Amino acid sequence: MKRLTLVILAICALIMLAAAVDLPNWADPSSPASTHLSPDFLEQGYGETATPNIVTVVLADYRSYDTMFEAVVVFAAALIVLVVLRRTPRQRSKMVQHRPVREGRDTVLRGAAQLIIPVMQIFALYVVGHGHYSPGGGFQGGVIFGASFILLALCYNLQFTIDRFKEQAVLFCVAGGVLLYAGVGAICLAMGWNFLGYAGLAGILGVSEVMARSHGILLVEVGVGITVFSVMMSLYYDLASGGDLDEGL
Amino acid sequence: MLNAVVIFLMVSGFMLFFATTVGLLRFPDFYTRVHAAGKGDTLSTALLLAGLIIYYLQDFSGEALLTAVKLSLIVFFVFLASPTATHAIIDAGYEAKVPYWTKRKPSADGEPYPGPERRREDRQI
Repeated sequence: MKRLTLVILAICALIMLAAAVDLPNWADPSSPASTHLSPDFLEQGYGETATPNIVTVVLADYRSYDTMFEAVVVFAAALIVLVVLRRTPRQRSKMVQHRPVREGRDTVLRGAAQLIIPVMQIFALYVVGHGHYSPGGGFQGGVIFGASFILLALCYNLQFTIDRFKEQAVLFCVAGGVLLYAGVGAICLAMGWNFLGYAGLAGILGVSEVMARSHGILLVEVGVGITVFSVMMSLYYDLASGGDLDEGL
Repeated sequence: MLNAVVIFLMVSGFMLFFATTVGLLRFPDFYTRVHAAGKGDTLSTALLLAGLIIYYLQDFSGEALLTAVKLSLIVFFVFLASPTATHAIIDAGYEAKVPYWTKRKPSADGEPYPGPERRREDRQI
């Protein structure tokens, strides 16, 4: 069986190597991607969207459909962990629990968390908001924002965090971020443009079509950020407590 | 003249990093290894970045000052986060009763944790 697997793998590798001959070289300036698409994005990106960071433009404007489903993938991950792990109190009694219980709250960790967490959250908002001009955006900022809450749960305990950010609120944010993203697209559709054609927001926001695309990028980045940070929290709540949300790390 | 200070800071930072690595590889048990990593890492990062800050501030301008402020922020947060993380890891190891190294051999009748079991009373807020 192992030999058969090896033979199949070798054949597949040979086919891939043979096909790779036809691929353009690394950084080939005459490859199709570099001659049609990239110059177009680079030359017209700023003029069309008033956003200097071309990566953000491609991610959230030219390919926003793709990015929307990336957010949906993250959303689906949270749902699957909920389905697999989350237990109601009625189901809980059937299972024997064994996990470390930390009731304590360490003074050192508490002090450090109080110093670091506010800075982290402000920095996360900066990363989301500054994605038009520098590396950053919804995914990165959302991860930092979610990590700040996970740090709170690690330095205090899980119950402390859940008391302040209820599971219902987290799940509301999980769905709300994707809904905000898709809602922006649907509004554009209703205004007579393509789905996620942000120029359709110009009438509502009262700005030019170019600026509307810039604002549309910000709106969907905020949606992505909300989804990512709340998905991280939801995953942490379920994984740290084994689905009970009563105690845990 | 300032270059000499920069070189001194960076070389001492690298030497401390080297000592950290040696300690991480050579110390006998969990606690001493984390101790080496936590202590050396923090100070050597601070020394290296202090050298870089002085290097940047040699020809003074607004941009250099901005870079220096960003670097000193990194120093501040490493100084805050690295010892705290070390403390948390050691604390977790202590709670999980990770055995520590002694000069005496551990007794043969399966006592992995030679120290007296201590409980904290000040854990509750």
